[in-house]
Amino acid sequence: MLPWNYGFHFGAASYIFLGAFYTVLIVVATTIINALWRARRDLSKGKVEDIRWHSDFHDLSAADRSCRHVLTGEFTSRECPHAFDCRECATHAKLIALHPLAQAAEAEEDIFGMSFPLDRMYHRGHTWARPEADGTVTVGLDDLGARLLGTPDAVDLPGLGSHVHANGTAFRIHRREADVRILSPVDGEVVETGGVDRGFFLRVKPLNGLMDMRHLLRDAEVKPWLMRELERLQLALTMEGASVPSLADGGVPVSDIAAAYPKTDWDAVCGEMFLEP
Amino acid sequence: MANHMFQQIDKEFITRGVRRCSTPRFILWLVPWVALLLFGAYSAGLCLVKGLNQTNMDNRYAFGLWIFVDLTIIALGAGAFFTGFLLYILKFKELKAVINSAVVIGLVCYSGAMAALMVDVGQPLRAWFTFWYPNVHSMLTEVTFCISCYLTVLLIEYLPIVLKNRKLRDVPGFLVFEFELHKLIYVLAGVGTFLSFFHQGSLGGLYGVLRGRPFAFREGIFVWPSTFFLFIISAAAVGPSFLICTTWLVEKITGKRLAKDRVFDLLARISGILLSVYVLAKTIDTLIWINRTSPGLGFTASQYYDWKPFGTWILFAEIVLCGLVPALILLTPRLRARRAWLIPAAALACCGIALNRYVQTVQTLALPTLSFDKFLSYTPSWQEVGTFLGVLAYGVLVYSFSFRYFQIFPEERELKIEVRPQQEEEPVLAGRF
Repeated sequence: MLPWNYGFHFGAASYIFLGAFYTVLIVVATTIINALWRARRDLSKGKVEDIRWHSDFHDLSAADRSCRHVLTGEFTSRECPHAFDCRECATHAKLIALHPLAQAAEAEEDIFGMSFPLDRMYHRGHTWARPEADGTVTVGLDDLGARLLGTPDAVDLPGLGSHVHANGTAFRIHRREADVRILSPVDGEVVETGGVDRGFFLRVKPLNGLMDMRHLLRDAEVKPWLMRELERLQLALTMEGASVPSLADGGVPVSDIAAAYPKTDWDAVCGEMFLEP
Repeated sequence: MANHMFQQIDKEFITRGVRRCSTPRFILWLVPWVALLLFGAYSAGLCLVKGLNQTNMDNRYAFGLWIFVDLTIIALGAGAFFTGFLLYILKFKELKAVINSAVVIGLVCYSGAMAALMVDVGQPLRAWFTFWYPNVHSMLTEVTFCISCYLTVLLIEYLPIVLKNRKLRDVPGFLVFEFELHKLIYVLAGVGTFLSFFHQGSLGGLYGVLRGRPFAFREGIFVWPSTFFLFIISAAAVGPSFLICTTWLVEKITGKRLAKDRVFDLLARISGILLSVYVLAKTIDTLIWINRTSPGLGFTASQYYDWKPFGTWILFAEIVLCGLVPALILLTPRLRARRAWLIPAAALACCGIALNRYVQTVQTLALPTLSFDKFLSYTPSWQEVGTFLGVLAYGVLVYSFSFRYFQIFPEERELKIEVRPQQEEEPVLAGRF
């Protein structure tokens, strides 16, 4: 059967069998080598965080992958094809050109008692980015994110001089059993680190002079997004066996939601809300 | 303290947002299966060390429990290649919900079959001979090559499931390799389909070419007897049914919903369609065999069924009871929508294929073919049964670990909310704000 086998003769059957057998071996080996080579290339190019986010995004439920223009009612349903990086999205650019975002009436949105100042832009992983006069950008947790985590047990901040990437890990927060990866809203080099008591977590400098923040939510987009986030929170709490929160009656989320649900799997709730399934 | 630490480590490996039983309870679940696995290893060890005299097989009854089990689990494990084919090649996106389970089942079935075959063939130190000095005239050669290659493909397909583990993906190398490998998985799905078609077919062909066994011998197309095609269709037909049964069983054992109804419905529909095709093909094949093939070899078909317990009931059970009946149930939307109909129908389809493999293996060898032959009977020895139970325990253990630590059913978390109404009576509103 095989050329080195005693009594082997080449014939049509041998050609077919050997052809198929070696083709299979070559295809399988090539696939593995290709995957290994691509993995090595990704590692050397520092694409780990980008891949982690794309992998996480792929695992989000279809509803959580909704395009920002669904939130504002421009689409009835549309999954984001760019993993929330609207900078690459031609549809987003077209829609923004056609219907520029309306300025919010107030300088600060107060939604269910939570503060969402409109001098900054919001990432869907509950961080905000505020451009500063010196060209740097301050990064912090939004009010809902802060209430979800309450007083953290520990915060792992990146070192000064390290780089963060939009949708990559900005920092980690530990609260109870939850170990949450907080997504960075922008690309940049960390020039200062803060903390819970300082009202921000990072200050970053743009990597090539200019900070592109087209992918972040702003102005009139914030309120509908937050409404959706509160629905998601209700769903996440229900899924984890907590009580069904009822905001419709005018309740205000407490400042430390984690403490209000001591028996709930907070790691799961945070994973859902901070887009780390 | 150490116990608490162990439980904490265990928890860190469990997928975020899914509920699993406590570590001690999981260990308790494992204990009987590990015991069975050890018993199986001892039985297999005896066969490997002392030889096949430990079994009740002999030169006339060369195929016994192990080959029957091999053929059956390889057919049932076909869900792996067929689901992969439907999802990655034909783009049936709904099947994403069960593809990981299908891969685990396929891996368990194929590796279990390989292990049993190794014990059956014996001489483990010379196992490589089958690859280096293959028998040119045996269909088993093609089967050996195809199954070995497909097991390799299944192991590679299983790799992304393992590397996707919450803790393992913290290692950057694992994360990127899993990501890149997953992007190429359609290539492996294609190769798996190609290999599966051929080895399922060759396993069937193995019986169809037995000219000296008129009960099994079949005519066909070119070098392939009709059993070559029947094995392929039947495996593709029951693969989805077995997936339905295992998913339902895991749901019952764990008390969780794991896949949406539309996934069960799609699997049932696919299984029903293919099962109908199989029943039709098998009926035509049986009629040709009764009226032409068998008489041509000097036997009337009724002669085979004179030997009890293999009466004509077995033909009825195989084609009608475990073929046509489940096919009709699976094809009827109102019936397959209800678990009370769906699960028995899927189980019947699986039993039908097991019966077919049993008939091909055991009945074929039991029937006399020469005038001085006797009807042979065979009962497996405890070592054979032990080895089979070991394979079963191995399968349960691999599936249990995979279910606990890997994301086998991606919809599980989403479906948690749908099982809550069962607990509505509990006072769950205490924390309302």
